[in-house]
Amino acid sequence: MIHARGLTKKYGSRTAVDGIDFTVEPGRVTGFLGPNGAGKSTTMRMIVGLDRPTEGSVTVGGHPYRAHRAPLREVGVLLDAKAVHSGRTAYKHLLAMGATHGIGKARVHEVIGLTGLDSVAGKRVKGFSLGMGQRLGIASALLGDPATLILDEPVNGLDPEGVRWVRTLVRGLAAEGRTVLLSSHLMSEMAQTADQLIVLGRGRILENAPIEDVISRTNGTTVRVRTPDLARLAALLAGDGIAVSRQPDGSAQVSAVTPERIGETAAAAGLPLHELTVVSGSLEDAYMTLTADEVEYRTAAPRKETAR
Amino acid sequence: MTALTPRPTARPVHAARTAFVGPESRLSFPRVVRSEWIKITSLRSTVWSLLMIVLSGVGLSLLLAATMESAGLPDGPSVGFTLTTVTLGVMFGQIVAAVLGVLAISGEYSTGMIRSTLTAVPTRLPVLAAKAVVLFVLVVAVGLVTLVGAWAATYPLFAAAGIATSLAEPGFFVAILGAATYLGLTAVFALGIGTLLRSAAGGVATVLGVILGLPLFLPLAALAFDWVADVGPFLFTSAGEAMAALPLDAPAGTAPVSGGPLEPWAAGLVVLAWTGVSLVLAGLSLRRRDA
Repeated sequence: MIHARGLTKKYGSRTAVDGIDFTVEPGRVTGFLGPNGAGKSTTMRMIVGLDRPTEGSVTVGGHPYRAHRAPLREVGVLLDAKAVHSGRTAYKHLLAMGATHGIGKARVHEVIGLTGLDSVAGKRVKGFSLGMGQRLGIASALLGDPATLILDEPVNGLDPEGVRWVRTLVRGLAAEGRTVLLSSHLMSEMAQTADQLIVLGRGRILENAPIEDVISRTNGTTVRVRTPDLARLAALLAGDGIAVSRQPDGSAQVSAVTPERIGETAAAAGLPLHELTVVSGSLEDAYMTLTADEVEYRTAAPRKETAR
Repeated sequence: MTALTPRPTARPVHAARTAFVGPESRLSFPRVVRSEWIKITSLRSTVWSLLMIVLSGVGLSLLLAATMESAGLPDGPSVGFTLTTVTLGVMFGQIVAAVLGVLAISGEYSTGMIRSTLTAVPTRLPVLAAKAVVLFVLVVAVGLVTLVGAWAATYPLFAAAGIATSLAEPGFFVAILGAATYLGLTAVFALGIGTLLRSAAGGVATVLGVILGLPLFLPLAALAFDWVADVGPFLFTSAGEAMAALPLDAPAGTAPVSGGPLEPWAAGLVVLAWTGVSLVLAGLSLRRRDA
Protein backbone atom coordinates (compact mmCIF):
# COMPACT_ATOMS: atom_id res chain seq x y z
CA MET A 1 0.00 0.00 0.00
CA ILE A 2 1.47 3.32 -1.11
CA HIS A 3 -0.21 6.48 0.00
CA ALA A 4 0.71 9.95 -1.29
CA ARG A 5 -0.77 13.15 -0.01
CA GLY A 6 -0.09 16.54 -1.59
CA LEU A 7 3.18 15.15 -2.89
CA THR A 8 5.20 17.91 -4.51
CA LYS A 9 8.71 18.16 -5.90
CA LYS A 10 10.21 21.35 -7.26
CA TYR A 11 13.63 21.66 -8.84
CA GLY A 12 14.31 25.36 -8.65
CA SER A 13 11.42 26.99 -10.48
CA ARG A 14 10.40 23.81 -12.31
CA THR A 15 7.66 21.77 -10.68
CA ALA A 16 8.22 18.09 -11.45
CA VAL A 17 5.42 16.75 -9.27
CA ASP A 18 2.58 19.08 -8.43
CA GLY A 19 0.72 18.19 -5.24
CA ILE A 20 -0.56 14.76 -6.20
CA ASP A 21 -2.73 12.48 -4.05
CA PHE A 22 -3.02 8.80 -4.78
CA THR A 23 -3.20 5.40 -3.19
CA VAL A 24 -1.73 2.24 -4.67
CA GLU A 25 -3.66 -0.74 -3.37
CA PRO A 26 -2.27 -4.20 -2.67
CA GLY A 27 -3.39 -7.23 -4.64
CA ARG A 28 -3.41 -5.64 -8.05
CA VAL A 29 -1.03 -4.14 -10.57
CA THR A 30 -1.17 -0.37 -10.80
CA GLY A 31 0.21 1.09 -14.00
CA PHE A 32 1.94 4.42 -13.87
CA LEU A 33 1.68 6.21 -17.20
CA GLY A 34 2.69 9.56 -18.55
CA PRO A 35 4.90 11.25 -21.11
CA ASN A 36 8.59 11.77 -20.41
CA GLY A 37 9.00 14.43 -17.78
CA ALA A 38 5.52 13.88 -16.37
CA GLY A 39 7.00 13.10 -12.95
CA LYS A 40 6.75 9.30 -12.80
CA SER A 41 10.37 8.62 -11.92
CA THR A 42 10.55 11.53 -9.51
CA THR A 43 7.47 10.22 -7.72
CA MET A 44 8.99 6.74 -7.50
CA ARG A 45 12.23 8.19 -6.14
CA MET A 46 10.31 10.10 -3.49
CA ILE A 47 8.46 6.95 -2.42
CA VAL A 48 11.77 5.26 -1.54
CA GLY A 49 13.32 8.35 0.01
CA LEU A 50 15.94 9.07 -2.65
CA ASP A 51 14.42 12.50 -3.28
CA ARG A 52 12.94 14.58 -0.54
CA PRO A 53 9.46 16.01 -1.29
CA THR A 54 9.32 19.78 -1.39
CA GLU A 55 5.88 19.50 0.15
CA GLY A 56 3.48 16.77 1.09
CA SER A 57 4.32 13.23 2.05
CA VAL A 58 4.25 9.66 0.89
CA THR A 59 4.09 6.50 2.97
CA VAL A 60 4.61 2.83 2.21
CA GLY A 61 2.90 0.28 4.41
CA GLY A 62 1.73 3.10 6.66
CA HIS A 63 5.12 4.65 7.36
CA PRO A 64 7.59 6.89 5.55
CA TYR A 65 10.10 4.64 3.78
CA ARG A 66 12.95 5.85 5.98
CA ALA A 67 11.16 4.78 9.13
CA HIS A 68 11.12 1.09 8.20
CA ARG A 69 13.57 -1.16 10.01
CA ALA A 70 13.72 -3.56 7.08
CA PRO A 71 13.27 -1.37 3.99
CA LEU A 72 14.16 -4.17 1.57
CA ARG A 73 11.40 -6.36 2.97
CA GLU A 74 8.98 -3.47 2.62
CA VAL A 75 9.76 -2.22 -0.88
CA GLY A 76 11.67 -3.67 -3.80
CA VAL A 77 12.53 -1.06 -6.35
CA LEU A 78 13.84 -1.08 -9.89
CA LEU A 79 14.67 2.43 -10.99
CA ASP A 80 14.84 3.60 -14.56
CA ALA A 81 18.52 4.51 -14.41
CA LYS A 82 21.19 1.91 -13.70
CA ALA A 83 21.84 1.42 -10.02
CA VAL A 84 24.67 -1.10 -9.94
CA HIS A 85 28.44 -0.63 -9.73
CA SER A 86 29.73 -1.83 -13.09
CA GLY A 87 32.97 -3.20 -11.65
CA ARG A 88 31.24 -5.71 -9.38
CA THR A 89 29.80 -9.09 -10.30
CA ALA A 90 26.05 -9.57 -10.18
CA TYR A 91 26.44 -12.09 -7.38
CA LYS A 92 28.54 -9.78 -5.20
CA HIS A 93 26.16 -6.92 -5.87
CA LEU A 94 23.21 -8.92 -4.61
CA LEU A 95 25.25 -10.30 -1.72
CA ALA A 96 26.23 -6.79 -0.62
CA MET A 97 22.66 -5.53 -0.93
CA GLY A 98 21.29 -8.45 1.06
CA ALA A 99 24.01 -8.21 3.70
CA THR A 100 22.55 -4.92 4.96
CA HIS A 101 19.50 -6.89 6.14
CA GLY A 102 21.23 -10.14 7.02
CA ILE A 103 19.84 -11.74 3.86
CA GLY A 104 22.28 -14.46 2.93
CA LYS A 105 23.61 -16.48 0.04
CA ALA A 106 20.63 -18.82 -0.13
CA ARG A 107 18.20 -16.04 -0.99
CA VAL A 108 20.75 -14.44 -3.36
CA HIS A 109 21.04 -17.70 -5.27
CA GLU A 110 17.28 -17.97 -5.28
CA VAL A 111 16.68 -14.58 -6.92
CA ILE A 112 19.50 -15.29 -9.38
CA GLY A 113 17.66 -18.46 -10.38
CA LEU A 114 14.32 -16.71 -10.43
CA THR A 115 15.56 -14.04 -12.84
CA GLY A 116 17.50 -16.45 -15.02
CA LEU A 117 20.91 -14.93 -14.28
CA ASP A 118 22.68 -18.17 -13.31
CA SER A 119 25.04 -18.16 -16.27
CA VAL A 120 26.20 -14.57 -15.79
CA ALA A 121 26.06 -14.12 -12.01
CA GLY A 122 29.84 -14.40 -11.71
CA LYS A 123 30.53 -11.85 -14.41
CA ARG A 124 31.07 -8.19 -13.85
CA VAL A 125 28.10 -6.00 -14.61
CA LYS A 126 30.20 -3.90 -17.01
CA GLY A 127 29.68 -6.49 -19.77
CA PHE A 128 25.94 -6.93 -19.26
CA SER A 129 23.44 -6.28 -22.03
CA LEU A 130 20.52 -4.00 -21.31
CA GLY A 131 18.28 -7.02 -20.80
CA MET A 132 20.61 -8.68 -18.31
CA GLY A 133 20.95 -5.37 -16.48
CA GLN A 134 17.17 -5.27 -16.17
CA ARG A 135 17.07 -8.82 -14.86
CA LEU A 136 19.67 -7.92 -12.25
CA GLY A 137 17.60 -4.89 -11.29
CA ILE A 138 14.55 -7.10 -10.89
CA ALA A 139 16.59 -9.59 -8.87
CA SER A 140 17.63 -6.75 -6.53
CA ALA A 141 14.04 -5.67 -6.19
CA LEU A 142 12.92 -9.20 -5.27
CA LEU A 143 15.81 -9.80 -2.87
CA GLY A 144 13.97 -8.80 0.30
CA ASP A 145 10.76 -10.59 -0.75
CA PRO A 146 9.05 -7.22 -0.40
CA ALA A 147 5.39 -6.44 0.21
CA THR A 148 5.53 -3.63 -2.34
CA LEU A 149 7.25 -3.55 -5.72
CA ILE A 150 8.04 -0.40 -7.63
CA LEU A 151 9.26 -1.12 -11.13
CA ASP A 152 10.22 1.70 -13.47
CA GLU A 153 10.22 0.46 -17.08
CA PRO A 154 10.99 -3.16 -16.16
CA VAL A 155 10.64 -4.53 -19.69
CA ASN A 156 13.01 -1.96 -21.15
CA GLY A 157 15.57 -3.86 -23.23
CA LEU A 158 14.07 -7.30 -22.65
CA ASP A 159 13.45 -9.72 -25.49
CA PRO A 160 9.86 -10.89 -26.12
CA GLU A 161 10.39 -13.88 -23.87
CA GLY A 162 11.63 -11.58 -21.12
CA VAL A 163 8.71 -9.22 -21.59
CA ARG A 164 6.32 -12.11 -21.17
CA TRP A 165 8.20 -13.34 -18.14
CA VAL A 166 7.97 -9.92 -16.45
CA ARG A 167 4.24 -9.84 -17.17
CA THR A 168 3.74 -13.25 -15.59
CA LEU A 169 5.96 -12.33 -12.67
CA VAL A 170 4.22 -9.04 -11.98
CA ARG A 171 0.75 -10.59 -12.24
CA GLY A 172 1.91 -13.35 -9.89
CA LEU A 173 3.25 -10.87 -7.36
CA ALA A 174 -0.04 -8.98 -7.31
CA ALA A 175 -1.97 -12.25 -7.01
CA GLU A 176 0.05 -13.01 -3.88
CA GLY A 177 -1.40 -9.86 -2.38
CA ARG A 178 1.54 -7.57 -2.93
CA THR A 179 1.34 -3.95 -4.00
CA VAL A 180 2.78 -3.42 -7.47
CA LEU A 181 3.42 -0.04 -9.08
CA LEU A 182 4.69 -0.36 -12.61
CA SER A 183 5.62 2.17 -15.24
CA SER A 184 6.03 1.48 -18.93
CA HIS A 185 5.85 3.25 -22.23
CA LEU A 186 4.64 0.11 -23.96
CA MET A 187 0.88 0.58 -23.98
CA SER A 188 0.08 -2.90 -25.26
CA GLU A 189 2.16 -4.33 -22.42
CA MET A 190 0.50 -2.11 -19.87
CA ALA A 191 -2.94 -3.06 -21.18
CA GLN A 192 -2.12 -6.73 -20.57
CA THR A 193 -0.54 -6.25 -17.16
CA ALA A 194 -2.22 -3.48 -15.20
CA ASP A 195 -5.53 -3.52 -13.35
CA GLN A 196 -5.52 0.10 -12.27
CA LEU A 197 -4.02 3.10 -14.04
CA ILE A 198 -2.59 6.34 -12.77
CA VAL A 199 -1.89 8.70 -15.64
CA LEU A 200 0.40 11.64 -14.96
CA GLY A 201 0.89 14.72 -17.09
CA ARG A 202 3.16 17.60 -16.14
CA GLY A 203 3.31 16.51 -12.54
CA ARG A 204 -0.43 16.14 -12.08
CA ILE A 205 -2.75 13.18 -12.04
CA LEU A 206 -4.86 13.11 -15.21
CA GLU A 207 -6.62 9.86 -14.49
CA ASN A 208 -6.72 7.31 -11.70
CA ALA A 209 -9.17 4.49 -12.39
CA PRO A 210 -9.46 0.82 -13.37
CA ILE A 211 -7.96 0.30 -16.81
CA GLU A 212 -11.26 -0.64 -18.53
CA ASP A 213 -12.87 2.53 -17.21
CA VAL A 214 -10.02 4.66 -18.46
CA ILE A 215 -10.28 3.14 -21.93
CA SER A 216 -14.06 3.22 -22.30
CA ARG A 217 -14.52 6.59 -20.69
CA THR A 218 -11.82 8.23 -22.77
CA ASN A 219 -12.53 6.58 -26.09
CA GLY A 220 -16.28 6.25 -25.77
CA THR A 221 -18.08 3.05 -26.76
CA THR A 222 -18.44 2.13 -30.40
CA VAL A 223 -20.22 -0.91 -31.81
CA ARG A 224 -19.19 -2.56 -35.03
CA VAL A 225 -22.05 -4.09 -37.05
CA ARG A 226 -22.03 -6.30 -40.12
CA THR A 227 -25.23 -7.12 -41.94
CA PRO A 228 -26.14 -7.95 -45.56
CA ASP A 229 -28.65 -5.10 -45.66
CA LEU A 230 -26.75 -2.26 -44.09
CA ALA A 231 -28.82 0.41 -45.80
CA ARG A 232 -32.01 -0.78 -44.14
CA LEU A 233 -30.46 -1.04 -40.70
CA ALA A 234 -28.98 2.42 -41.11
CA ALA A 235 -32.38 3.76 -42.05
CA LEU A 236 -34.03 2.11 -39.03
CA LEU A 237 -31.41 3.48 -36.66
CA ALA A 238 -31.51 6.88 -38.30
CA GLY A 239 -35.21 6.96 -37.48
CA ASP A 240 -34.16 6.87 -33.80
CA GLY A 241 -31.53 9.55 -34.36
CA ILE A 242 -28.56 7.18 -34.30
CA ALA A 243 -25.83 7.84 -36.85
CA VAL A 244 -24.11 4.97 -38.66
CA SER A 245 -20.78 5.39 -40.35
CA ARG A 246 -19.93 2.98 -43.14
CA GLN A 247 -16.45 1.49 -43.13
CA PRO A 248 -14.43 0.59 -46.26
CA ASP A 249 -14.57 -3.09 -45.33
CA GLY A 250 -18.35 -3.17 -45.55
CA SER A 251 -19.04 -3.00 -41.84
CA ALA A 252 -20.48 -0.04 -39.99
CA GLN A 253 -19.45 1.79 -36.80
CA VAL A 254 -22.22 2.97 -34.53
CA SER A 255 -21.36 5.33 -31.70
CA ALA A 256 -23.09 6.07 -28.42
CA VAL A 257 -25.40 3.08 -28.47
CA THR A 258 -25.48 -0.29 -26.74
CA PRO A 259 -25.14 -3.51 -28.76
CA GLU A 260 -28.44 -4.65 -27.21
CA ARG A 261 -30.24 -1.76 -28.82
CA ILE A 262 -28.86 -2.53 -32.28
CA GLY A 263 -29.53 -6.23 -31.90
CA GLU A 264 -33.14 -5.65 -30.87
CA THR A 265 -33.74 -3.19 -33.70
CA ALA A 266 -32.35 -5.67 -36.21
CA ALA A 267 -34.37 -8.57 -34.75
CA ALA A 268 -37.60 -6.58 -34.83
CA ALA A 269 -37.05 -5.92 -38.53
CA GLY A 270 -35.98 -9.50 -39.20
CA LEU A 271 -32.53 -8.41 -40.32
CA PRO A 272 -29.72 -10.97 -40.04
CA LEU A 273 -26.58 -9.73 -38.24
CA HIS A 274 -23.19 -11.22 -39.13
CA GLU A 275 -21.28 -9.29 -36.50
CA LEU A 276 -22.06 -7.21 -33.48
CA THR A 277 -18.91 -6.21 -31.57
CA VAL A 278 -18.17 -3.64 -28.91
CA VAL A 279 -15.03 -1.73 -29.91
CA SER A 280 -13.62 0.19 -27.02
CA GLY A 281 -10.40 1.27 -28.71
CA SER A 282 -6.93 0.65 -27.40
CA LEU A 283 -5.19 1.89 -24.29
CA GLU A 284 -2.86 3.70 -26.62
CA ASP A 285 -5.76 5.69 -28.09
CA ALA A 286 -6.97 6.55 -24.60
CA TYR A 287 -3.48 7.50 -23.48
CA MET A 288 -2.95 9.79 -26.47
CA THR A 289 -6.26 11.49 -25.90
CA LEU A 290 -5.61 11.91 -22.19
CA THR A 291 -2.13 13.31 -22.45
CA ALA A 292 -2.99 15.56 -25.39
CA ASP A 293 -5.60 17.15 -23.15
CA GLU A 294 -3.33 17.74 -20.23
CA VAL A 295 -3.33 21.49 -20.71
CA GLU A 296 -7.12 21.55 -20.24
CA TYR A 297 -6.84 19.57 -17.07
CA ARG A 298 -4.24 21.94 -15.71
CA THR A 299 -6.66 24.84 -15.84
CA ALA A 300 -9.58 22.84 -14.51
CA ALA A 301 -10.44 22.60 -10.85
CA PRO A 302 -8.37 20.08 -8.88
CA ARG A 303 -9.53 16.60 -9.80
CA LYS A 304 -9.63 14.22 -6.90
CA GLU A 305 -12.24 11.83 -8.20
CA THR A 306 -13.60 11.60 -11.66
CA ALA A 307 -17.30 10.93 -12.09
CA ARG A 308 -17.97 7.26 -12.42
CA MET B 1 28.28 -11.70 -23.75
CA THR B 2 24.93 -11.45 -25.41
CA ALA B 3 25.19 -15.04 -26.54
CA LEU B 4 24.55 -16.06 -22.95
CA THR B 5 20.83 -15.47 -23.01
CA PRO B 6 19.46 -16.15 -19.54
CA ARG B 7 16.54 -18.52 -19.55
CA PRO B 8 13.70 -17.17 -17.48
CA THR B 9 11.69 -19.38 -15.23
CA ALA B 10 8.11 -18.87 -14.24
CA ARG B 11 8.55 -20.28 -10.77
CA PRO B 12 6.22 -18.63 -8.27
CA VAL B 13 7.97 -15.98 -6.24
CA HIS B 14 6.56 -17.10 -2.94
CA ALA B 15 8.26 -20.49 -3.24
CA ALA B 16 10.51 -20.84 -0.21
CA ARG B 17 10.18 -17.16 0.60
CA THR B 18 9.84 -17.65 4.33
CA ALA B 19 12.86 -19.90 4.34
CA PHE B 20 15.22 -17.03 3.65
CA VAL B 21 13.57 -13.71 4.29
CA GLY B 22 11.88 -13.53 7.64
CA PRO B 23 11.35 -10.94 10.35
CA GLU B 24 14.94 -11.38 11.52
CA SER B 25 16.06 -9.91 8.22
CA ARG B 26 16.38 -6.25 9.01
CA LEU B 27 18.90 -3.45 9.16
CA SER B 28 21.65 -3.26 11.75
CA PHE B 29 24.93 -1.38 11.77
CA PRO B 30 27.16 -4.49 11.83
CA ARG B 31 25.22 -5.74 8.80
CA VAL B 32 25.78 -2.47 6.95
CA VAL B 33 29.49 -2.76 7.79
CA ARG B 34 29.47 -6.27 6.38
CA SER B 35 27.77 -5.03 3.22
CA GLU B 36 30.38 -2.31 2.78
CA TRP B 37 33.12 -4.86 3.36
CA ILE B 38 31.72 -7.03 0.57
CA LYS B 39 31.44 -3.98 -1.66
CA ILE B 40 34.98 -2.70 -1.21
CA THR B 41 36.64 -6.09 -1.41
CA SER B 42 34.72 -7.10 -4.53
CA LEU B 43 36.19 -4.34 -6.69
CA ARG B 44 39.41 -4.93 -8.57
CA SER B 45 40.44 -1.31 -8.12
CA THR B 46 40.57 -1.86 -4.35
CA VAL B 47 42.79 -4.90 -4.68
CA TRP B 48 45.14 -3.07 -7.04
CA SER B 49 45.28 0.01 -4.84
CA LEU B 50 46.12 -1.98 -1.73
CA LEU B 51 48.75 -4.00 -3.59
CA MET B 52 50.25 -0.76 -4.83
CA ILE B 53 50.54 0.57 -1.27
CA VAL B 54 52.42 -2.56 -0.19
CA LEU B 55 54.67 -2.88 -3.22
CA SER B 56 55.55 0.81 -3.50
CA GLY B 57 56.15 1.07 0.24
CA VAL B 58 58.43 -1.94 0.49
CA GLY B 59 60.09 -1.10 -2.84
CA LEU B 60 60.91 2.50 -1.93
CA SER B 61 62.33 1.47 1.44
CA LEU B 62 64.47 -1.21 -0.20
CA LEU B 63 65.73 1.27 -2.75
CA LEU B 64 66.68 3.76 -0.04
CA ALA B 65 68.33 1.08 2.09
CA ALA B 66 70.32 -0.18 -0.87
CA THR B 67 71.72 3.28 -1.50
CA MET B 68 71.98 4.49 2.09
CA GLU B 69 75.75 4.27 2.28
CA SER B 70 76.14 7.06 -0.26
CA ALA B 71 73.99 9.28 1.95
CA GLY B 72 76.01 8.55 5.06
CA LEU B 73 75.28 5.99 7.75
CA PRO B 74 74.76 6.59 11.45
CA ASP B 75 77.56 5.49 13.79
CA GLY B 76 75.53 2.66 15.29
CA PRO B 77 72.05 1.16 15.25
CA SER B 78 69.50 4.01 15.28
CA VAL B 79 65.74 3.64 15.63
CA GLY B 80 65.26 7.06 14.06
CA PHE B 81 67.32 6.18 11.01
CA THR B 82 65.53 2.87 10.50
CA LEU B 83 62.19 4.56 10.93
CA THR B 84 62.97 7.16 8.26
CA THR B 85 63.81 4.39 5.81
CA VAL B 86 60.84 2.20 6.67
CA THR B 87 58.20 4.97 6.54
CA LEU B 88 59.39 6.40 3.23
CA GLY B 89 56.55 4.67 1.39
CA VAL B 90 53.91 6.51 3.40
CA MET B 91 54.53 9.54 1.17
CA PHE B 92 53.27 7.59 -1.83
CA GLY B 93 50.88 5.38 0.08
CA GLN B 94 48.87 8.35 1.33
CA ILE B 95 48.08 9.30 -2.27
CA VAL B 96 46.78 5.81 -3.02
CA ALA B 97 44.81 5.79 0.25
CA ALA B 98 43.29 9.15 -0.69
CA VAL B 99 42.21 7.89 -4.11
CA LEU B 100 40.77 4.75 -2.53
CA GLY B 101 38.78 6.84 -0.04
CA VAL B 102 37.33 9.14 -2.69
CA LEU B 103 36.47 6.25 -5.02
CA ALA B 104 34.69 4.34 -2.25
CA ILE B 105 31.85 6.84 -2.61
CA SER B 106 32.34 8.64 -5.93
CA GLY B 107 32.29 5.27 -7.69
CA GLU B 108 28.77 4.78 -6.34
CA TYR B 109 27.63 8.12 -7.67
CA SER B 110 29.18 7.66 -11.11
CA THR B 111 27.71 4.18 -11.61
CA GLY B 112 24.33 4.81 -9.97
CA MET B 113 25.06 2.25 -7.24
CA ILE B 114 24.32 4.93 -4.66
CA ARG B 115 20.60 4.58 -5.44
CA SER B 116 20.71 0.89 -4.54
CA THR B 117 22.79 1.64 -1.44
CA LEU B 118 20.48 4.34 -0.15
CA THR B 119 17.28 2.43 -0.81
CA ALA B 120 18.70 -0.44 1.24
CA VAL B 121 19.78 1.96 4.02
CA PRO B 122 17.46 4.95 3.72
CA THR B 123 18.69 6.61 6.90
CA ARG B 124 21.96 7.04 4.99
CA LEU B 125 24.36 7.92 7.82
CA PRO B 126 25.10 4.27 8.68
CA VAL B 127 26.41 3.89 5.13
CA LEU B 128 28.95 6.65 5.61
CA ALA B 129 29.97 5.36 9.03
CA ALA B 130 30.29 1.80 7.74
CA LYS B 131 32.38 2.92 4.79
CA ALA B 132 34.64 4.84 7.20
CA VAL B 133 35.08 1.80 9.45
CA VAL B 134 35.81 -0.54 6.56
CA LEU B 135 38.26 1.82 4.86
CA PHE B 136 40.06 2.56 8.11
CA VAL B 137 40.48 -1.06 9.13
CA LEU B 138 41.52 -2.16 5.65
CA VAL B 139 44.04 0.62 5.05
CA VAL B 140 45.54 0.47 8.55
CA ALA B 141 46.00 -3.28 8.18
CA VAL B 142 47.59 -2.90 4.76
CA GLY B 143 49.72 -0.02 6.11
CA LEU B 144 50.99 -2.24 8.92
CA VAL B 145 51.78 -5.04 6.50
CA THR B 146 53.65 -2.55 4.31
CA LEU B 147 55.68 -1.01 7.13
CA VAL B 148 56.56 -4.27 8.83
CA GLY B 149 57.30 -5.66 5.37
CA ALA B 150 59.58 -2.72 4.65
CA TRP B 151 61.38 -3.27 7.95
CA ALA B 152 61.80 -6.98 7.23
CA ALA B 153 62.90 -6.44 3.64
CA THR B 154 65.53 -3.88 4.58
CA TYR B 155 66.72 -5.77 7.68
CA PRO B 156 69.43 -7.78 5.88
CA LEU B 157 70.88 -4.58 4.37
CA PHE B 158 70.88 -2.86 7.76
CA ALA B 159 72.38 -5.94 9.36
CA ALA B 160 75.12 -6.02 6.76
CA ALA B 161 75.95 -2.42 7.63
CA GLY B 162 75.85 -3.27 11.32
CA ILE B 163 73.03 -0.87 12.13
CA ALA B 164 70.01 -3.18 12.25
CA THR B 165 67.32 -2.38 14.85
CA SER B 166 64.60 -4.73 16.01
CA LEU B 167 60.85 -4.15 15.88
CA ALA B 168 60.88 -4.21 19.66
CA GLU B 169 63.09 -1.13 20.04
CA PRO B 170 61.36 1.46 22.25
CA GLY B 171 59.08 3.69 20.26
CA PHE B 172 59.61 1.94 16.94
CA PHE B 173 56.41 -0.07 16.71
CA VAL B 174 54.32 2.78 18.12
CA ALA B 175 55.67 5.03 15.37
CA ILE B 176 54.84 2.42 12.74
CA LEU B 177 51.36 2.13 14.20
CA GLY B 178 51.12 5.91 13.95
CA ALA B 179 52.13 5.83 10.29
CA ALA B 180 49.58 3.13 9.49
CA THR B 181 46.87 4.97 11.40
CA TYR B 182 47.70 8.10 9.43
CA LEU B 183 47.19 6.19 6.17
CA GLY B 184 43.85 4.90 7.41
CA LEU B 185 42.71 8.37 8.46
CA THR B 186 43.80 9.75 5.09
CA ALA B 187 41.44 7.30 3.37
CA VAL B 188 38.58 8.28 5.70
CA PHE B 189 39.30 11.99 5.25
CA ALA B 190 39.14 11.42 1.49
CA LEU B 191 35.87 9.51 1.88
CA GLY B 192 34.36 12.59 3.49
CA ILE B 193 35.58 14.89 0.72
CA GLY B 194 34.37 12.43 -1.91
CA THR B 195 30.92 12.34 -0.30
CA LEU B 196 30.76 16.13 -0.31
CA LEU B 197 31.85 16.51 -3.93
CA ARG B 198 30.40 13.25 -5.34
CA SER B 199 32.98 13.20 -8.10
CA ALA B 200 36.23 11.26 -8.45
CA ALA B 201 38.09 14.06 -10.21
CA GLY B 202 36.95 16.80 -7.87
CA GLY B 203 37.43 14.67 -4.78
CA VAL B 204 40.92 13.47 -5.64
CA ALA B 205 42.01 16.97 -6.69
CA THR B 206 40.73 18.46 -3.43
CA VAL B 207 42.30 15.81 -1.21
CA LEU B 208 45.64 16.04 -3.01
CA GLY B 209 45.39 19.80 -2.67
CA VAL B 210 45.13 19.38 1.09
CA ILE B 211 47.78 16.72 1.56
CA LEU B 212 50.29 17.82 -1.09
CA GLY B 213 49.33 21.36 -2.11
CA LEU B 214 49.01 23.03 1.29
CA PRO B 215 52.52 22.06 2.49
CA LEU B 216 53.92 23.64 -0.68
CA PHE B 217 51.79 26.74 -0.46
CA LEU B 218 52.23 27.43 3.24
CA PRO B 219 55.95 28.37 3.29
CA LEU B 220 55.26 30.91 0.56
CA ALA B 221 52.34 32.39 2.46
CA ALA B 222 54.54 32.47 5.57
CA LEU B 223 56.86 34.88 3.76
CA ALA B 224 53.99 37.37 3.56
CA PHE B 225 52.37 36.69 6.94
CA ASP B 226 54.53 35.60 9.87
CA TRP B 227 51.72 33.89 11.75
CA VAL B 228 51.14 31.44 8.93
CA ALA B 229 54.32 29.61 9.88
CA ASP B 230 52.72 28.71 13.23
CA VAL B 231 49.95 26.90 11.38
CA GLY B 232 52.47 24.63 9.67
CA PRO B 233 52.47 21.75 12.20
CA PHE B 234 48.69 21.61 12.06
CA LEU B 235 48.53 20.84 8.38
CA PHE B 236 47.16 17.40 7.56
CA THR B 237 50.45 16.15 6.15
CA SER B 238 52.75 17.75 8.73
CA ALA B 239 50.70 16.25 11.53
CA GLY B 240 50.77 12.94 9.68
CA GLU B 241 54.55 12.99 9.57
CA ALA B 242 54.65 13.73 13.29
CA MET B 243 52.35 10.76 13.93
CA ALA B 244 54.92 8.52 12.27
CA ALA B 245 57.82 9.96 14.25
CA LEU B 246 59.38 9.12 17.60
CA PRO B 247 58.30 11.20 20.61
CA LEU B 248 60.22 14.48 20.75
CA ASP B 249 62.12 13.51 23.91
CA ALA B 250 63.09 10.08 22.68
CA PRO B 251 66.78 9.18 22.59
CA ALA B 252 66.55 9.09 18.84
CA GLY B 253 70.17 8.29 18.17
CA THR B 254 71.66 10.35 15.41
CA ALA B 255 69.45 11.43 12.54
CA PRO B 256 66.32 12.96 14.07
CA VAL B 257 63.15 12.12 12.21
CA SER B 258 61.80 14.93 10.16
CA GLY B 259 58.44 16.09 11.45
CA GLY B 260 56.56 18.95 13.00
CA PRO B 261 57.11 20.12 16.50
CA LEU B 262 53.93 18.30 17.63
CA GLU B 263 54.15 15.22 19.80
CA PRO B 264 52.89 12.11 17.97
CA TRP B 265 49.74 11.84 20.08
CA ALA B 266 48.90 15.52 19.57
CA ALA B 267 49.57 15.15 15.86
CA GLY B 268 47.22 12.19 15.85
CA LEU B 269 44.49 14.36 17.35
CA VAL B 270 45.10 16.99 14.67
CA VAL B 271 44.68 14.45 11.84
CA LEU B 272 41.63 13.05 13.63
CA ALA B 273 40.14 16.55 13.75
CA TRP B 274 40.67 17.04 10.01
CA THR B 275 39.03 13.69 9.39
CA GLY B 276 36.19 14.42 11.80
CA VAL B 277 35.34 17.74 10.15
CA SER B 278 35.40 16.09 6.74
CA LEU B 279 33.06 13.30 7.91
CA VAL B 280 30.62 15.62 9.67
CA LEU B 281 30.28 17.83 6.60
CA ALA B 282 29.89 14.71 4.47
CA GLY B 283 27.18 13.39 6.79
CA LEU B 284 25.22 16.63 6.67
CA SER B 285 25.43 16.71 2.88
CA LEU B 286 24.48 13.05 2.50
CA ARG B 287 21.46 13.47 4.74
CA ARG B 288 20.14 16.58 3.05
CA ARG B 289 20.73 16.23 -0.65
CA ASP B 290 18.69 14.16 -3.09
CA ALA B 291 20.54 11.08 -4.23
